[in-house]
Amino acid sequence: MKKIIALLLACVMVLGLFAGCGSSQEPEETQAQSGNQETAGAQGDDSGDAPEEDTIVVMAPPVTGNYLASLKVWAEDFKKEYPHLTVEVIETSWGDHSDKLSTMAQAGEAPDIAEISSGALGTYVEMGVAIDISQYMSAERLADYDANALSYMSLEGTVYGLPLYLTIQSIGANKTLMEELGIDVAKIQQEGWTYEEFLDVIKLGTTDERFGFVFANAGVTASDMLNIFGAGCGLSNNFTEDLKYTFTSDNMLTLLSAIEEMTQSGYMPNYGVEAGQRMVMCQTGNAMIFGKAMPLFENNFRTNNAALDANDGTAVENSLKMDYAFLPVPTMMGCEESCYGTVDGLIAMRNKNTTDEHLENVLLFMDYICSGERIASCMNELYLDPVCQSGRDALTLEEGRDPDNLETAARCIAMVEAPPAGVTAEMTATAKKLMDEQIVPKFQLLLAGEATAQEVYDHICEAAYAAFGEENCVSGKIG
Amino acid sequence: MNETKVRQLKNGRKLRFTNEDLWGYIFIAAAMIIFCVFTLYPVFNAIYTSFLEYKPFGSEFVGLQNYVDTLKYSKFNLFYKAALNTLVYTAVVVPLSLLISFTVAVMILPFSKKTQSVFKAVYYLPGVASGVALSVVWLWLYDSSPDGLFNQLLGFFGIPAQNWLSSTKTAMLSLMIMALLSSHGTQIITYIAALLGIDNSYFEAAELDGATFFQKVRFIVWPLVKPTTLFLMVTGVIGSFQVFMNAYMMTGGGPDNATTMIGLLIYNNAFEYGKYGLACAQAILLTIVIAIMSLFQFRLMGVDVEY
Repeated sequence: MKKIIALLLACVMVLGLFAGCGSSQEPEETQAQSGNQETAGAQGDDSGDAPEEDTIVVMAPPVTGNYLASLKVWAEDFKKEYPHLTVEVIETSWGDHSDKLSTMAQAGEAPDIAEISSGALGTYVEMGVAIDISQYMSAERLADYDANALSYMSLEGTVYGLPLYLTIQSIGANKTLMEELGIDVAKIQQEGWTYEEFLDVIKLGTTDERFGFVFANAGVTASDMLNIFGAGCGLSNNFTEDLKYTFTSDNMLTLLSAIEEMTQSGYMPNYGVEAGQRMVMCQTGNAMIFGKAMPLFENNFRTNNAALDANDGTAVENSLKMDYAFLPVPTMMGCEESCYGTVDGLIAMRNKNTTDEHLENVLLFMDYICSGERIASCMNELYLDPVCQSGRDALTLEEGRDPDNLETAARCIAMVEAPPAGVTAEMTATAKKLMDEQIVPKFQLLLAGEATAQEVYDHICEAAYAAFGEENCVSGKIG
Repeated sequence: MNETKVRQLKNGRKLRFTNEDLWGYIFIAAAMIIFCVFTLYPVFNAIYTSFLEYKPFGSEFVGLQNYVDTLKYSKFNLFYKAALNTLVYTAVVVPLSLLISFTVAVMILPFSKKTQSVFKAVYYLPGVASGVALSVVWLWLYDSSPDGLFNQLLGFFGIPAQNWLSSTKTAMLSLMIMALLSSHGTQIITYIAALLGIDNSYFEAAELDGATFFQKVRFIVWPLVKPTTLFLMVTGVIGSFQVFMNAYMMTGGGPDNATTMIGLLIYNNAFEYGKYGLACAQAILLTIVIAIMSLFQFRLMGVDVEY
């Protein structure tokens, strides 16, 4: 008897371990099948040929504060329009989204729709799991999306996904303080500024208690500084129109020298600043201008001001009441003003259950959530303009937004340069690896004051020549 | 009983498969199934994948290419730098960690059982917390601004603030300090168990001979806990070679790849760049290195150890 009980317990233990390994498809199918029967029953009188039941799996992080909750509502609304289609949402956090998606894709079990940043598109194309969506979507619907934003979701002329938004990254500031110091913030927002003018401003804003400028540059966030300031130095993209690698140009040396000058000037901290610290430093009066910044930070400042007024203890500790200014990035070497932008979007992914009919359904839902009033509500939360016509038509701007920030954001979005056509997935993957393994690590040395701009530049050139060949890298100045 | 069976076998009679044997195999099966599914299969699958350019739909056999790419020397190949970083980390952390654990265990031993339990619980506590939570606390401790906790401590002694995690001079040291100060629970408990197993008569004899405390530790305790030390060193080296969380959470491998460990490199290749085949090849190479290191330790330290 004892043996039998022990054996049973052992079996339970083994089965328990395997419980999580089964496909979750079965219960869904059962649910879908029962739904099918009900739907067939409901529609049975109208038509004898009901469409086949299908389940669409979407995986997304909280793109906005309300995005995941909204996604469920949209899924229900969609179900009302298309009763045979069921949407299942896999919620992730920003922290684990990429890893989870990568793991699922590698196992051949990717969701049908997944949120990705355009920079990661090459990885999934190389992996063979990204799908050419133009085959499963009407040209008319595809034309609703801005060509510029759509090109971020494309590689070698193939469209793999739909854009959710084009996000711009630049710098932000304590507008109240800048105006108190006599700095013409409106002029900077409307006309832009040069690096020399920027240096004068941060010098003016620096005191014993305050840095004129702070940039979150600890660890991997160091690449943000290169990308954002690079946009003002002719380095908006990794490749030129004739597909040559840009980070070996003279512009790169100028950019690195400027950053070296900034870190050594004492106008910005010469130590690593974590991402979470930079806005707090601005709000507590320890920094005047900060990066990286986005238009939606206006909401953080407004919320904090309201909390300070209410004195309810929810404001940032030791923070001051101030207005926020979204600023364009300064230009260098006489380059045209530009802004760093990336597109986040949804891509259709191949998995073990993918069929042509299923993909048509997938694209139907993907288009549904990327357009119209759905995307307009998201963009209101993100303080960004929609990148599709139907979204713009549905957009009703929330009241109380700073018109100068709105105008600056619109001006910056217009300046964002899409990647040139013809860049292959392999080139993108190589550029990413080069950035992660060679450029950022050496750039961290520059920020720590352990290497000069020239040394870092020389290393970047050497690594880029090894990766792409010297003939495929830019020499001299761009722009 | 055994003698009977051996004799029976020598007589040429068949060994009978009894009912008891069947139950034995059934009970072993539970563990064997788990071992085969969750350990053996992944290992063989990783070996197989290391010969592929892996893609979820249509992998391509590339032979030894992933191994060649990993081992091909180049200034820009991170494998060797990561291997060196891991080796340095292991060489410093494992022996120092053992020394600290041994010292703490020896210091705890004279206390009553209740007090011992309190100390054991306190030292084991960090092991219960998740690595991510611990990393967040350590990030706060290593805040590079003059207001950072460690920097304030240095300031108290007139030492300038350090760029703890962002300087090549201190980044690896910071990870080592973190490892040395936050993961001794298991080792201390193991050492205490070993120390309790030493017969008291050795100490009584030593005291009659007038041995000092340090002489007792050196000539009685240390040799008698050698099997435990060997075990902790081998498992410590294995764990240290696989270190990942600290570098991933604290530095991301930087600055200048000064804290890029093999584990982080494998992770990046698999999940950042989608190079599963390459990552598997590197994981297999790491396994081989760990196996060689373990063998080396057994040969070096295990000569007079029955284990």
